Amino acid sequence: MGLLAPWFLAGLAALGVPVFVHLLRRHKSTPQPVSSLMFFERGTQSSTRYRRLRYLLLFALRCALVLLVVLAFANPYLRRAAADANGRQLLIVLDNSFSMRAGTRFSDAKQQALTVLAGKSHAQKAQIMALGGKLDVLTQPITDDAQLHAALASIQPGDGHANFGDLARAIGRMAETFRGPIDLHLFSDMQRTAMPANLADALLPGNVTLILQPVVKGSAPPNWTVESVDAPDSLSDPKDPTRSRVQAVVAGFGTPAAAKTVSLVVNGKVIATRKVDVPAGGRATVEFAPLDVGYGFNRCEVRISGGDAFPADDATVFAVRRSDPERVLFVHAASETRSALYFGSALDAAAHSSFVIQSVAAEQSTDLDPSKYAFVVLSDAVILPSIFEHALAQYVAKGGSVLIALGTSAGRHPRIPLWDREVRDVRDYVRAGNPATVGHVDFSYPVLEQVQPGSDNGGWADVKVFYAAVLNPEGERVTARLTDGTPLLLEKQLGEGRVLLLTTGLENLTNDLPLHPVFVAFVDRTAHYLSGTDRLSASKVVDSFVQLRSTTTQMGAATSVEVIGPDGQRPLSLSEARTAQSLRLDRVGFYQIRFANGRDAVVGVNPDRRESDLQPLAADVQQLWSGSSGAASSETAAAQPIALNYRPVSLWWYVMALAFVAALAEAVFASGYMGATREEL
Amino acid sequence: MQRFLDPKVLAGISSLDLLAKTVVDSFVAGLHRSPDFGFSQEFTEYRAYVPGDDLRHVDWNLFARTERCYLKRYRGETNTQLTILLDSSNSMQYTSGPPTKVDYARYLAASLFYLAIHNQRDAAGLIVFDDEVREYIRPATRTGQLSRLFAGLERAEPHARTDFAKPLAHFQNFLHRRGIAVLISDFYEDPEIIVRTIAPLRFRGNEVVLFHILDPQEIRPALKGSAILVDLETDQKIEVTPEYTRTVYRVRIDEHIEQLRSRARAAGMDYKLLVTSQPLDRALREYLSFRQAGN
Repeated sequence: MGLLAPWFLAGLAALGVPVFVHLLRRHKSTPQPVSSLMFFERGTQSSTRYRRLRYLLLFALRCALVLLVVLAFANPYLRRAAADANGRQLLIVLDNSFSMRAGTRFSDAKQQALTVLAGKSHAQKAQIMALGGKLDVLTQPITDDAQLHAALASIQPGDGHANFGDLARAIGRMAETFRGPIDLHLFSDMQRTAMPANLADALLPGNVTLILQPVVKGSAPPNWTVESVDAPDSLSDPKDPTRSRVQAVVAGFGTPAAAKTVSLVVNGKVIATRKVDVPAGGRATVEFAPLDVGYGFNRCEVRISGGDAFPADDATVFAVRRSDPERVLFVHAASETRSALYFGSALDAAAHSSFVIQSVAAEQSTDLDPSKYAFVVLSDAVILPSIFEHALAQYVAKGGSVLIALGTSAGRHPRIPLWDREVRDVRDYVRAGNPATVGHVDFSYPVLEQVQPGSDNGGWADVKVFYAAVLNPEGERVTARLTDGTPLLLEKQLGEGRVLLLTTGLENLTNDLPLHPVFVAFVDRTAHYLSGTDRLSASKVVDSFVQLRSTTTQMGAATSVEVIGPDGQRPLSLSEARTAQSLRLDRVGFYQIRFANGRDAVVGVNPDRRESDLQPLAADVQQLWSGSSGAASSETAAAQPIALNYRPVSLWWYVMALAFVAALAEAVFASGYMGATREEL
Repeated sequence: MQRFLDPKVLAGISSLDLLAKTVVDSFVAGLHRSPDFGFSQEFTEYRAYVPGDDLRHVDWNLFARTERCYLKRYRGETNTQLTILLDSSNSMQYTSGPPTKVDYARYLAASLFYLAIHNQRDAAGLIVFDDEVREYIRPATRTGQLSRLFAGLERAEPHARTDFAKPLAHFQNFLHRRGIAVLISDFYEDPEIIVRTIAPLRFRGNEVVLFHILDPQEIRPALKGSAILVDLETDQKIEVTPEYTRTVYRVRIDEHIEQLRSRARAAGMDYKLLVTSQPLDRALREYLSFRQAGN
């Protein structure tokens, strides 16, 4: 409760008027003279007391009248929750991203959120959300305080990366269905890295009032972290100096120059320790070589010794699988041997390649068992022995992978093994006098993946294609096209396996791709992709996904997958294990996965390293985002979280009604008293 | 003087025959009846002779006819001496509306003086008292006496408390001949004490008349609410409820008046209650009529 115009309380000085009047009246009670009191006797005291009581009641009424009038002018109000029966909805969003694990951020934020929730009126609807790697809607807009409290209390710190842009988009979708005013209380550490590059992406709809409740004041504490680790996913020869090594980058955020001790832990045992000087706010690289690991999956970790403000991010985990080199079956046409040379050379040149190529002509492939190979390459081998083709189809259906490269034979034999449709046409760009180039490349595709392709289209722009087969894709994924629109690279799912189709050859007759550096990367990624080693052991970021089974698998025929999370629990239920297509890696640590095709994998999951930068948003950015005035600040919002949560409800009418009643009562009592006084006189 | 000699008051009083109410021992025949039998020309009665009577009063003619010895008695006519004792204590200034009791007493005294001196040629004197004798004018008939009396009345302002003993003692010291003593007061005293104090005047042959002056509010007070009352003589204050004044007070004042009346009559004194709201001429007329009828 408060007063909107407290300066009117100066009018309380008017209380002196009834006090003065009543004191005078009591002193002016003039006695009546009589000749003698000989026949009089003293009256009963009760009479006088009654009279005084009447005076006191009148006095009290007059004081109350003055008090109420002054109070009415001071305009008292009750603080009521801002969103109430008028339709304002309270939306509490609690940040449970990885950075909230630092210090007492999460507990402080939750406590503040509980305080705000406790101040909500019972009739007001509220909704609880948790902002981590994704926005979890924990309740619908309800008025049940107990349920809201339980939902808020159930939020635990997560490992995801908060993004205010995702929050804004989610709130925007919600505001499309709910037109009423929404008070959004965001309890967060207001990490700068959570804000999208463009502030417009985080703007909220007009009916949403954003009230920031930062739990961090001042600058962020210094924090060191293992920013990245470069280690082989699989290793066949630990003594290979070029591959058997681990490079880790130690980064400091807001840190002074310091010497840090970095350790490499394999399967829980420290096998190497390095000291590194990390410059102030900079980065330093540490290398561990050789990486001596045993056969099978090795759970590795690079850890910084010495505590800081955020010890949870001092380690990065990754898995390394040691195995003998896997064989790749390269089937080519008898007349064409260049492609094996180019492909084998590129495979050997790849830094992390662990494959041994076995080249064989198509006619000699009858007795080969494809299941013994990591994957199979059909280079211009459109005519295969039927036995081998049948074995190859079964191999793919069970999870095997095949790369088909169509060479010049495609013009003579339109049928493509393992591919339902035939070649519709061939394009001979040499005859046309204008070699085709690669126009469109899907760089998100694992085989063609490049983070920053550049202006040369990731190196593909220089590739000239002289001869290519033309297919009509129907359901297949086209990941690269030539400039005339001809599909260059297609993928097709068959059972648990996949088939990649390159509409040109792997030699330098139909294109000059083998002559370009992008060919090595292409072959390397293709080998990893087709062999599945990219899924078997890797280091992934929290909230990334792992595909558990092929999308073409029939529901009834699907086999179960098995996933064991970092905490030793199975995150998937039995039904989910039979149906889930992918798994979201939402916890930090090692996931042990058995895919539907029977292959095992261990995946190390690390938090998004943007969460390690604890620097909060600048105050002006916070003001700009919350739309507050220039005078307000985030500190103000932090200091008065409750005040912002309430709105005043004026009691003016009630006080004036009471004053009116007091005035009526005073008039009645005063007239009665004055009438009696006149009669006495 | 004019305020005391209101022509209406005097006209009302002149119509009455004050002579019928006086007794002998007066020079002005028929004005006052003397308390004693005297010698005059008007026969009153016969009385049987007893040994020791003066033989000069024996009616020898009657003895000759009846051989019985009777004394012949005559009604005496005489001038008398009027002395008014005016109470000027503080209680006499009470009023619930003009006039005050002391003013009413002044009117009454002036009227009696005028009647006595101007009409009856009696000697008249004045004693103004409270707890002391404030004014004393010796009774006389000389020229200017009436003016002196009126001046004495003018100077009579209420003071102090009432004490009947001192003025009566003073009065007795200067009383050389019998007369009429008129005591005008509100008599706020125990009736027994009043009568016991005044009775000696009666024993010495004076006729004593008590004029009891009261305000109507003193007889029937009307309080609408509780009030603080202040005694004009003692300044004592008490709070009184209207219920008391409507019940107990009325009974007690009525008992007081009745006791005073009965005790005064028992002591041979005349008593008349005058209320200040009552017209003065009517009050005098009633009193004189009463006295005339009583004799």
